[in-house]
Amino acid sequence: MNRRSFFLGMAGLAGCTSSARPRLNVYNWSNYVAPDTIPNFEREFGVTVRYGVFESNEEMLAKALTGNSGWDVVFPSNYLIRPMRQNDLLAPLRHQWLTNLANLEQRFQSPSWDPDLQWCVPYMWGGSGIVFDRRLSPRPAAWSDLWSAGLRNRITMLDDPAEVLGACLKKLGYSLNSGQPAELEQARREAIAQKALLRAYLNAEARDQLVSGDIKAAQLWATTSQQAMDADTALDFVYPAEGFALYADNAVLLRESRRERLAHQFLDYLLRPEVATAIVKATRTATANRAVPESVRASPTLYPPPEVLRRGEWFEPLPTAAQRLRDRLWTEIKSA
Amino acid sequence: MTLRFWFLLPTRVWLALLLAAPLGVICAYSVLTRGAYGGVSLPWTAENYARFFDPLYAAILLRSLLMAAVATVLCLLLGFPLALFISRSRNRRGLYLFLVILPFWTSFLVRIYAWLFLLRDTGLVNTALLGLGVIREPISLLYNNGAVLLGLVYGYLPFMILPLYATLERLDPALLEAAADLGARPMPALMRVVVPLAGPGIRAGSILVFIPCVGAFLTPDLLGGGKTVMIGNLVENQFTTARDWPFGSAVSLALMVIVVLLVILFLRRGEEAL
Amino acid sequence: MKKALGLYAAALYTFLHLPLIILAVFSFNSSKFTVWEGFSIRWYAAVFHDPDLAEAAVNSVEIAIVSTILSTIVGTACAYGFWKRRDRLLSGALYLSLVTPEIVMGVSLLAFFQWTFRYLHWRLGLYTVILAHVAFSIAYVVVVVAARLRTLDSSLEEAAMDLGATEWGAFRLVTLPALWPGIAAAAMLALAVSFDDYVITSMVAGVDSQTLPMWIYATARRGANPSINAISALLVVFFGALVLLSERLRSSES
Repeated sequence: MNRRSFFLGMAGLAGCTSSARPRLNVYNWSNYVAPDTIPNFEREFGVTVRYGVFESNEEMLAKALTGNSGWDVVFPSNYLIRPMRQNDLLAPLRHQWLTNLANLEQRFQSPSWDPDLQWCVPYMWGGSGIVFDRRLSPRPAAWSDLWSAGLRNRITMLDDPAEVLGACLKKLGYSLNSGQPAELEQARREAIAQKALLRAYLNAEARDQLVSGDIKAAQLWATTSQQAMDADTALDFVYPAEGFALYADNAVLLRESRRERLAHQFLDYLLRPEVATAIVKATRTATANRAVPESVRASPTLYPPPEVLRRGEWFEPLPTAAQRLRDRLWTEIKSA
Repeated sequence: MTLRFWFLLPTRVWLALLLAAPLGVICAYSVLTRGAYGGVSLPWTAENYARFFDPLYAAILLRSLLMAAVATVLCLLLGFPLALFISRSRNRRGLYLFLVILPFWTSFLVRIYAWLFLLRDTGLVNTALLGLGVIREPISLLYNNGAVLLGLVYGYLPFMILPLYATLERLDPALLEAAADLGARPMPALMRVVVPLAGPGIRAGSILVFIPCVGAFLTPDLLGGGKTVMIGNLVENQFTTARDWPFGSAVSLALMVIVVLLVILFLRRGEEAL
Repeated sequence: MKKALGLYAAALYTFLHLPLIILAVFSFNSSKFTVWEGFSIRWYAAVFHDPDLAEAAVNSVEIAIVSTILSTIVGTACAYGFWKRRDRLLSGALYLSLVTPEIVMGVSLLAFFQWTFRYLHWRLGLYTVILAHVAFSIAYVVVVVAARLRTLDSSLEEAAMDLGATEWGAFRLVTLPALWPGIAAAAMLALAVSFDDYVITSMVAGVDSQTLPMWIYATARRGANPSINAISALLVVFFGALVLLSERLRSSES
């Protein structure tokens, strides 16, 4: 085969369009469906699903803000629902097409970010806490334990201003979403004091360092911690006594989408007990669906008991002034 | 219409459409206000630039420039001998060149993870040193400026080696032989014969390393443990978690102007890399 | 000195390739963490069972190859034009393209594309990614080829034209052959820059143009697993084979 035909062939591949079957474009976080979830949906409904993954809310939001991204269903976190509403990006959901909505847990039937479930369907949720080596003594039980000098250079925090400032605010007894300059200033001081003891600000990379033994304790999301614990039984997880952050990823329908019915069918499909169960078994994340059997939802890390959950606080969208102040403080903390 | 006109035309068109226009957008963004929930909105304002005039940000900028400069010098010192080696090889130049760039045809992120594996306290390097009895306790090789420099040099070495090779390849080995015949020892011969001839390559490589290094954000985040803020992190942050596109635009425009000025100063008249 | 250079080269090559070797070794790790557990090919199996991943990889390769070819041609031509006579404005523009932070380039290109598409009724796709990649790769090609050109004697072309060659003839027969090592080096660099680009690509990619870096970064965000090693290792082998194949073709043609 000579070079010319090779390149023509490649160009042809690029221009290739999919078959005439109806299409649905879904944009989700990584590791949120089981290997057979999408293929089964495609088979049952006779459609093609384009499934893309994004790395952060902001990346997805930048696309959605254009109003012409091409995506039908996306999965923002709960604190983006109101902003996306304000920017008129969401299409209202028709409950008559969502027959499995009752499968959601009670508290997700009317969450604070969308009391009537008019705009979103909660999908997966989680919190952040402290994952640590079981052999540590004393056992960490509160955020303040991550400030202990004995753990110097053996702790990490998440590389996320909302999580770090949130932990500091909780340690001081304030609200996670505080925009009060005085409170935030105190939180900043706490964070800088802790920075001297920190090994690094790490997100999912902390998992590997925990398993290898480089660090002994870390602020980490429950789902990532569960992954580490599944592999290394010497690790344990605790939701701090002072309180902790909660987030939930929800399925929404973008207003630009022209496949309303199909999108609703997809959302309804995700709510089915057997589908949700298969997903949770593959992903090891916490589902908002109570129709998933108890045996599958047995982890206290992923599904903390109600008395622990009471200490949790949902992330909320913040006004511009507060956001700006926090960003400035984060830059100061990181530069310290 | 000369040949030169046609040869420059595609670049002119491409950059006019895909650089000038987007930069115009960024200029506009930099004097707008942050949208309540992301994006931009009216009113027009100069406060984003005013915000940038702050010792906090100046320190970040200076730190980034310094780090990039050190990385560039290291790349030059480390890359020059290899470029020389490749250019003097008789049969296998293509192969050696190919071996330089091959690792860079994979994901940078995955290779950084490999460095994390190598350099952490329980990693290969420490384990080897402990095993050989050179050290008694693991040394902290990660999450400091040294690790960031290592990452930058590792990530940008080919950008120095390839331009250097492109100029050194023209070097006539007879020149070095002549110098040796005249009694010069290898090192001085190298410095006084080869290096000046490699001038264009050195300038080109320095540009291709320094400029991207200033704006690097992934390496300081992963290998530096997110404990320092580089100007690249600051800009990245504004467009992601802070959702303050106007401020990010202002910072990056200021950065671009400063770096271009520095480059022009560095290159002096008549010695441009382009 | 030759021996010393050779030893040094070996050491530096080891430095450059060590992460690649580690990456390959761990692609056979049975554990998903960077702690060796045992030998396994499960990650390669996972890669082959994931059609989305395969498509992302194919997209990445297509984009990289097409944009490398385009940017090499455009960049070489531009460098040659500069060599004849400077163009300060265009040089400045090229420096700007190097200096612009990726996220800035990505966000502004997205805004620009969306604004023009409102009137043209087009959509983002592979082609927008290729356009963007060429835009930021041109500067790299120009810098490398220009450095090469500086080592050439411009009087040779003049001599050729005195002997009756056209401008194009002089370029093709005198300068171009001498340029090949520079062009090859520039193309290799452009391929590296394009293939691994994440930030700009993620902004301007359409629904149908998911690329490999997008997949890798999204996976790493949620906790990386060695399937990213597996696909990276496979692609190194692929590109290596591609280069060796084109070398064979070239040497058999000449």
